[in-house]
Amino acid sequence: MSLLGNGKRMVTVTINKNQYLAEEGEIFLLTANRLGIDIPHLCYEKALEPYGACRLCMVDVVTCGKTDMTPACTIRVQNGLEILTDTPQIIKHRNLLFELYLAEAPKSEVIKEMAAKYGVTKTRFLKKIVHDDPLQGKCILCGLCVRVCEEIMGASAISFINRGPYTVINTPFYEHNPDCEGCAACAKVCPTNAIVFEDIGTNRVMQSWSDTTVPLMICPECGKPFAPQRLMEKVLTKPESGLIEEIKDLCPECRRKYFTLREIRKIPTNGGQA
Amino acid sequence: MIITSHEDLESVRKRGLTKIQPKHPRIGVGTSSCGIAVGGMQIFDRMQELIQKEGYDITLVKTGCIGFCKEEPIVSVTIPGKSQVLLHKVRPDDAERIIALALKGEIPEDLALCRIPDWDHITGNLVYGDGFESVPDYGEIRFFSHQKKVILRDSGLINPEDIDEYIGIGGYSAAFKALNSMDPDTIIEEVKKSGLRGRGGAGFPAGLKWEITKKAPGTEKFIVCNADEGDPGAYMNRNEMESDPHMLLEGMLIGAYGMDVHEGLIYIRAEYPLAIERLTLALDQARAYGLLGKNILNSGFDFDIQIATGAGAFVCGESTALAASIEGKTGRPRLRPPRLTEKGVFGRPTDLNNVETWCNVPVIITKGATWYSDIGAKGNTGTKVFSLVGKVENIGMVEVPLGTSLRTIIYDIGSGGAGGKEVKAVQTGGPSGGCIPVRLFDTPVDFENLNMVGTMMGSGGLVVMDEDTNMVDIARYFINFASSESCGKCVPCREGLKHLLLILNRIVSGKGTRDDIEILKELSDTVQKTSLCGLGQTAPNPVLTTLQYFGEEYEKLIAPEGK
Amino acid sequence: MDEKILDEIIAHYPSQSGKTLGILREIQIREKHIPMDTLKLLSGKIDVPLSRLYALVTFYSFFSLKPVGEHLITVCMGTPCHVKGAEKILESLEEHLGISEDTQDGKYLQTTPDNKFTVEIARCFGACSMAPVLRVDGELHGYVTPEMIPKILEKYGWKR
Ligand SMILES: Cc1cc2nc3c(=O)[nH]c(=O)nc-3n(C[C@H](O)[C@H](O)[C@H](O)COP(=O)(O)O)c2cc1C
Ligand code: SF4
Ligand code: SF4
Ligand code: FES
Ligand code: FES
Ligand code: FES
Repeated sequence: MSLLGNGKRMVTVTINKNQYLAEEGEIFLLTANRLGIDIPHLCYEKALEPYGACRLCMVDVVTCGKTDMTPACTIRVQNGLEILTDTPQIIKHRNLLFELYLAEAPKSEVIKEMAAKYGVTKTRFLKKIVHDDPLQGKCILCGLCVRVCEEIMGASAISFINRGPYTVINTPFYEHNPDCEGCAACAKVCPTNAIVFEDIGTNRVMQSWSDTTVPLMICPECGKPFAPQRLMEKVLTKPESGLIEEIKDLCPECRRKYFTLREIRKIPTNGGQA
Repeated sequence: MIITSHEDLESVRKRGLTKIQPKHPRIGVGTSSCGIAVGGMQIFDRMQELIQKEGYDITLVKTGCIGFCKEEPIVSVTIPGKSQVLLHKVRPDDAERIIALALKGEIPEDLALCRIPDWDHITGNLVYGDGFESVPDYGEIRFFSHQKKVILRDSGLINPEDIDEYIGIGGYSAAFKALNSMDPDTIIEEVKKSGLRGRGGAGFPAGLKWEITKKAPGTEKFIVCNADEGDPGAYMNRNEMESDPHMLLEGMLIGAYGMDVHEGLIYIRAEYPLAIERLTLALDQARAYGLLGKNILNSGFDFDIQIATGAGAFVCGESTALAASIEGKTGRPRLRPPRLTEKGVFGRPTDLNNVETWCNVPVIITKGATWYSDIGAKGNTGTKVFSLVGKVENIGMVEVPLGTSLRTIIYDIGSGGAGGKEVKAVQTGGPSGGCIPVRLFDTPVDFENLNMVGTMMGSGGLVVMDEDTNMVDIARYFINFASSESCGKCVPCREGLKHLLLILNRIVSGKGTRDDIEILKELSDTVQKTSLCGLGQTAPNPVLTTLQYFGEEYEKLIAPEGK
Repeated sequence: MDEKILDEIIAHYPSQSGKTLGILREIQIREKHIPMDTLKLLSGKIDVPLSRLYALVTFYSFFSLKPVGEHLITVCMGTPCHVKGAEKILESLEEHLGISEDTQDGKYLQTTPDNKFTVEIARCFGACSMAPVLRVDGELHGYVTPEMIPKILEKYGWKR
């Protein structure tokens, strides 16, 4: 045990019978990955609360000789923590879960590659076929898009619809949803690249979300469409946006140009010898 | 009127007693949902019309349900000074005759099921008297004689829509005793000593949960009653709430005082409109007497209860899903810990107990922990109510001490298979439980022994299967149920159960292969071990137990060449 | 649904506990389904995103988005009714009314093309002693056999 400069305590954890130093309180999944111990996972994202739904990161926690299967994304590091990540039981269950995922998202290359990495290349289960699936047969319902939209963006434009095996994700009534800001954070966070959107002309069209269409800001300087209007409005009304009046409507590129220009202007003509 | 003293309570009690035992005949019609379903309301309306038209000197009341479903509609007739008589299979056309005879101090003997000379309400004793000797005594009826009514002590005998009747047989005296003469910690101690375990399925010691909630940091806390009763075939909680709602409210009041909590919630499923109606009425009546609200019984203690309705999702019986549902969210369970006692409804420490758990509290306070723990078995004290249904002769609501054998329940009380058929198995614990074969019927019904044979107590549904029941079909039925009730959050349950169902469909239709059975076992194991919440973790139990005990039925369905 | 009625319903729920589901339950009972416009109106009034309300309505089986037909037939599918043949009753209904079991959202709610009958399923009416049981517009029919279905339907104006 030792103290780090930042006040965080380092403690000893045992992973697969080897001892390591780890930061107390850290999510074990991150610790393991940092230490190069591979644990597959699909529903964890650092900026969000642990969700524990994909079940791929299940490991054995050993307490007093007894083991308890728990998702690694929900375990916090503490002194003396003992974990097994590769028992035959865990491998067996994990492989079966991969088979379930291969059947649920048969079109996902990400899932195929991930499963193959663990030696699962085939599924014994009936593959799900959905015609015109807005998520292209790739969604594994990890919920990251919904959570990012609600918890980070505060937009709540999409949600889980139905329940059990009928669960899907989309906008209410499968209609264009004015709550959507077009930020596309959902698409960025999606582990299986299931969400499709495209900037068409001066609009962003969230094709996966019932073609919800969000107008883009046009840069008054260069005339090119850039970020979604509604998103920009929200960012700009925040007092801490810190942008000076002259540039706040510009696209990032023109803003950069503005600053570069200003820097250049600041440089004295005598070649910088103040 | 606000009850503030022992004298106040006594005067209401006397008034209640004269309502139960008036100076003229009293007729009670079983009008719980079950009684109404089989025509109870028509009988009641017909009688009311007659009595009003003629101005007869007869008290007509709605009663709860005595639980002998097979004999419903049941009507009770009390002639002053004589035994109360229960009439069975009454039809609306019998109304006139029953009234005419009651006016003469008689009863229609051909409709008589049994007579009750006196009744132990535990919180009070009622003597009716002798008479009608030709009618069998209550204790001679096989369905009743092996039962021990503690929770159902008032069911079917009092009017659940009148608080006076509950107080009449000693109701709210436990609350009076608790709030006025007991230290809150002593109450928790008493409940701990009684050995009461949660009746919602898992059997967690109630007193311990109370203590944990009390010790949890924070001043704003909740106590919640789980009245979601989602098991398809279990209706004990419905009956308890419809027949004796004040027993639940009194239990919660005592618990709240013990834990020093001031807000109570009853989370009840939307499919129980009558129970919601009766509870709402009971809450109003309790408030009117100052049994809820501020300074209850002049003790300085404040407490009130609100109703929150569910909307048809079995998974909302699970504690974290239930909390989410109360908050207006979809009932998707979250990871535990933190448990509800730490972070419950709206993030506040919350004690969650099943309806029947709360219902046990008043008698524990009235009679004491020792009296209570003498009932049942060691580690499994008290009684448990079961709904005995399916292919059994005597369908009904059954209350027995924990530790009673399945044989006693199914053969002695239930009289074996319906229509003389051979009983084959019984399903306990609903979709989370398993099928137990006849050869294991000596298993005592308690939390541990049921787990040992691969099933669980669950909330108390007992579905009897006979020789004609196809056990593979039963497994398929429960998997279909669990799959359609899965919240869809985690993959083993959402996808795993779906595939279990597809495979079972294949087997039932005779297209299954030997490989299918292997996959069934493998997949069941993974769903059980890797699901997030109790629904997925227990859903494969019906498959696993039927495979274990009735493997040959699967074999028979496998195509002979069985690749 | 009239905005005034909606306001009244909302006023029944001064506290947050059980509020949203309570309101939706009352709408469902009054309107026999959850109309789209009402849901949108409600979202603004109680300040809950529409996506969350839509998630609730599709998650909980008590709610339905589709209006029901003239007569509502509810078939009990509780365990006691199942072991006594409820599935055959449902099949017989489907056959006579010409509806199918297919569902897109996992909820069983089928209406005949002429909008006369809607069939739904439920778990246990508490009348297990008369299993299998079905209910038409609040009226209970017990000990039902598949053969009895046409007769029961005829009572409500069904013609072969
Ligand atoms: C899927 C699922 C459904 C449940 N349904 C119920 C229910 O309907 N009623 C109930 O009291 N408990 C139910 N439970 C158990 C509760 O989560 C909880 O353990 C119980 O209400 C605690 O009360 P007790 O300690 O008094 O038993 C369910 C659990 C799970 C996992
Ligand atoms: S669309 Fe992507 S992020 Fe959203 S639930 Fe599906 S897999 Fe997860
Ligand atoms: S086990 Fe089933 S019900 Fe429970 S969280 Fe997982 S999907 Fe939902
Ligand atoms: S990352 Fe841990 S359960 Fe999904
Ligand atoms: S008739 Fe009331 S519980 Fe059975
Ligand atoms: S299971 Fe059908 S009425 Fe109870």
